[in-house]
Amino acid sequence: MNVHPYVRCDEPSGPSASGLDRRATLRLFVSGTALALASCGRPSEQVTPYVEMPEGETPGLPMRFASALALGGYGRGVIVTSMEGRPIKIDGNPRHPASLGATDVFGEASLLSLYDPDRSKTPRSDSRIQPWSAFEAALRAQLERKKLRHGAGIALLTGRITSPTLVEKIDGLTKSLPEVKWYRYEPVDDDAVRAGSVQAFGRALTAIPRFGDVRVALMLDADPLGFGPEQIRFAHDLIGARRSHVAQDSLRLYAAEPAWTLTGAIADHRLAVSHQLVRNIALTIAGELGAAAPATELPPAVSEFVKAAADDLAARRGAALVQAGRSQPPEVHALCHWINHELRAPIDFIEPVDRVAMGHADALGALREDLDGRRIDTLFIIGANPAYDTPGDLQLAEAIGAVPFSVHLGLYEDETAARCTWHLPQSHPLESWSDIRAFDGTGSIVQPLIRPLYDSRTAHELLTLVGGSTTAGSGYDIVRNHWRKANNGNVDFDAWWRQSLQDGVIANSAAIPAPPPSPKLPQLTPARAGMNFTLALSPDPAVFDGSMANNAWLQECPKPFTKLVWGNALHMAEDDAHKLGVVDGDVVQLTHGRHVTEMPIITRPGQASGTLAATLGYGRSAAGSIGSNVGVDLYRLRPAGGAWVIENVDIVRTPRRENLLRTQHFFQLEGEAEELQPRLSLADLAQGHFAFTKPDANPPTLYPQTHYDAYEWAMTIDTSACIGCNACVIACQAENNVPIVGPDQIAVGRDMHWLRIDNYTVGGRPGFSPVPCMHCEHAPCEPVCPVAASVHDSEGLNVQMYNRCVGTRFCQSNCPYKVRRFNFFGYADGEEYKGFGADIVKAVFNPDVTVRGRGVMEKCTYCVQRISRARRTAEKEGRAIRDGEVVTACQAACPTQAISFGNLSEPQSSINAMRSEPHAYALLGNLGTRPRTTYLARLQNPNSNLGKPQS
Amino acid sequence: MPQLFPPYADTVARSVLIAIVVLPFLSVALAYWISASEYVTGRSITYDQPIPFSHAHHVGGLGLDCRYCHSGVETSPVAGIPPTHTCMTCHSQLYTQAAMLAPVRASLVDGQPIHWNKVTKLPDYVYFDHSIHVAKGIGCTTCHGDVATMPLMRQAQPLTMGWCLNCHRDPAPYLRPASGIFDPDWKFPDDQDRRGAILAHQHIDNNHLTDCSVCHR
Repeated sequence: MNVHPYVRCDEPSGPSASGLDRRATLRLFVSGTALALASCGRPSEQVTPYVEMPEGETPGLPMRFASALALGGYGRGVIVTSMEGRPIKIDGNPRHPASLGATDVFGEASLLSLYDPDRSKTPRSDSRIQPWSAFEAALRAQLERKKLRHGAGIALLTGRITSPTLVEKIDGLTKSLPEVKWYRYEPVDDDAVRAGSVQAFGRALTAIPRFGDVRVALMLDADPLGFGPEQIRFAHDLIGARRSHVAQDSLRLYAAEPAWTLTGAIADHRLAVSHQLVRNIALTIAGELGAAAPATELPPAVSEFVKAAADDLAARRGAALVQAGRSQPPEVHALCHWINHELRAPIDFIEPVDRVAMGHADALGALREDLDGRRIDTLFIIGANPAYDTPGDLQLAEAIGAVPFSVHLGLYEDETAARCTWHLPQSHPLESWSDIRAFDGTGSIVQPLIRPLYDSRTAHELLTLVGGSTTAGSGYDIVRNHWRKANNGNVDFDAWWRQSLQDGVIANSAAIPAPPPSPKLPQLTPARAGMNFTLALSPDPAVFDGSMANNAWLQECPKPFTKLVWGNALHMAEDDAHKLGVVDGDVVQLTHGRHVTEMPIITRPGQASGTLAATLGYGRSAAGSIGSNVGVDLYRLRPAGGAWVIENVDIVRTPRRENLLRTQHFFQLEGEAEELQPRLSLADLAQGHFAFTKPDANPPTLYPQTHYDAYEWAMTIDTSACIGCNACVIACQAENNVPIVGPDQIAVGRDMHWLRIDNYTVGGRPGFSPVPCMHCEHAPCEPVCPVAASVHDSEGLNVQMYNRCVGTRFCQSNCPYKVRRFNFFGYADGEEYKGFGADIVKAVFNPDVTVRGRGVMEKCTYCVQRISRARRTAEKEGRAIRDGEVVTACQAACPTQAISFGNLSEPQSSINAMRSEPHAYALLGNLGTRPRTTYLARLQNPNSNLGKPQS
Repeated sequence: MPQLFPPYADTVARSVLIAIVVLPFLSVALAYWISASEYVTGRSITYDQPIPFSHAHHVGGLGLDCRYCHSGVETSPVAGIPPTHTCMTCHSQLYTQAAMLAPVRASLVDGQPIHWNKVTKLPDYVYFDHSIHVAKGIGCTTCHGDVATMPLMRQAQPLTMGWCLNCHRDPAPYLRPASGIFDPDWKFPDDQDRRGAILAHQHIDNNHLTDCSVCHR
């Protein structure tokens, strides 16, 4: 044992033993005290100016740049805000057709991925750090050998690529080395959709519904409001078509689906049917419209639903639409094309933006065969993770591990990197020059916001090396040269380039719709109900296909229906769970073929019996410190064909239980949900029949009368428009430096989201209510604060003074809406979850918002920093803040404009108009808190022939 | 029986009684005095800098406008410390060999910024915006002091919350017309009461200035 010489006491031989006598002790004591006192001054701070100020930069002012981010290979336009060179917020680009100014969870959260401390930082080979030059030398040697054989044995494996520059690069490569093979796959594929259009039209065409023109739609397990690259646009159009209060002009939505989707939740009539029955419904509809379809037997309830839907569709030809989901087989898609043709449905058909004709599952199958046949000895995997996100039956991980020269370019050292001979760090989209096309073909230039943080390269740069160039070249030159050539000297290229960068959209680049040939009526036989259980898979609402698993904002983003965080669960119908004798949290064992997996269950009322539902994207083994070993991997259960529905799944209960981490705790209180989230039909609204009683606007009060200044800020949330997509939640998190707390804290009921989305079930139908701070005029949190940390300002904001707060939590107890969040630990400041304390993560903070420390209460501020910025701008210009000038982060992110914000003191403001709508209501308005945040009741447009909306 | 109390016992008792009343007040007064003292607020410190840049010379002597170097002051929350390039607009021609300016030249050659010691510090939870103050008629020297006489910079005002509120409650005595905001030699006129009230009436039309959310968020 090491003992400090001064404290050794085994030799009591007087002071000389330690060399310390009384005087020396005193001297040390005095000098120590003096030093301690002298060190009490303020820490010195430094200011560091630029050497040369970048063009257009003013320290302290944000700069905004247009770019685009990929989801499933398709672009969504974004405007990125940069503060002194570091990106701090992602917003939608209003000029981009796949964004229209709004974002989604993945777009908002990709900011955090940029600063992820787990990102790959250097090339590695055999888990040793290597310089890029070593890789380049190894690559040159490998290519030298391949050149004589025209590249035979070289293969590229990528995700969906819509970047014109990258496609040109790959074309160039396959031209110079004709034997090079390119496999492309996305875990979230569209194989059935594409095959369906081939069956119907003889060639692949992409159908883009114009939801704005639709008045009656039937969703056959389709989820246009669900997560994916089209979500923002479709949600905008679809909800926009439902805005009218006249039943004739408002889109009526029917949905038949096995498990809940976001579209099903908003639908006016929704029917839970098995996956197989959906096909029979399509057949019946076709039969009603005159197709020679075989007669099908449908249960009476379904039959009634289908009859009503078919009549409604037929009555609105030209404005009616039927859509099938990705899990339905190609024949059903082809049938829907035929039905839509009969209905003259408002659909644009364009040539596929993804040029590769081979299906995703076919590509993986071909890759597996070539790997087995040892026909591939040089494999480049670019931005994909096949060792994780391919069907388990293919066992690609082992096959890739056997390739003698394999290169993985990726953001993380993931499952695939571990099996490749080389791993190379890829630049984040916010660090790269590139280009990308949206689902409708609109092109954008992707421009970097920051120089690469690590020694990383882009796919363009890697492919330049693979193409035989001795240097990678700069991504800027590669992209710019492509477009210079593409423009062919027709325009002033520099002006074109600047304009494209500034707009974030390449002018006139959207695919031009062409009328399709008449669809063929496919030969379809009715499906039989499946034996045993059917497992329906879908991409996850939080981590999508799993590539974003290491993003903590997404991991802690509550899933729309279950409010589950940090994991996934198996959704079971109530009666199935009852029969099996399991309750929420019980772990069951799933068996399909030779694959066995165990996962906890959540019972879901309104799910079709015999259907199990679960999301992909979890159970990563090498995602990083955040995403590894969270949830259960269901890719392993997927058959080789990559189906979205797995039939004949066996399920048995196990004695184990798991603690489900949920942020909304579900106890049913009779009648409570109707009060918290009232629903109205358009007919009721027209006749003034309200299912809820509106409280008196000015109930008697003991609070003093308040007087407000020039502005009275208020928010209105339209629950009819809220689709539960969570974009606002993540936008708020990014804007307001809201920390994550980690699964252990969630387990004890703590979370920090300033804005939550409550899910209430009324009449068997879930619905969403975003709940920010209500900014009550008579705020119950204020009088209970002993230190006046919770106070009102003269514009009606209920503000929280972090520096006064002593953490009594009285305000939290007294808040009837439970929107106050307490820092039990320094979640953002010193006691961060896992790698979140790393310096690089601090770069994500918005400098306009305080980072709260331990022991401090916090809550939604109505984005007071944005109000302040608008006020200062207006004051400097000597005018009042204009209506619509202050846009809160949640409002900006919302794809359906469900959130409005404005000034009540201006009589003409849009917020006043919304608050005086007949279906406006205040949450718990009978408490007399006079909230500034009010709601619009959820409106439904049911078919009167079907009676009440049913589950 | 001997006397229990010595002759001075009465004096002691009276002093103690007075002290019980007076001492708390005194200690509170002392605490206030200390907290507002130059030592605590940092006004007493003149900071050394890597380059002994003299405002007295550049502003007082040469008459450079504040905004020549602090270019963000009218648009941005921060006035900004000039980049090396700004120094070199003159010093590539003047005093090109001066030993004093060696760090500036080195910064330009190496591309490494100059690290200045911060003089005017506000806590991180205060969101101060230069541009709005300048736009509303608060001159530079009101807060930064008579920089035209300072060879090296020191903090001129206490920068305590009470000091901020003093003006936010009643800005009139500190308001200048637009022409005087960047004037380093500005003297408030004798009838500032009247002029300030007019300026306040014209430019500052809300009573929102003492809301917490104005500076803290």
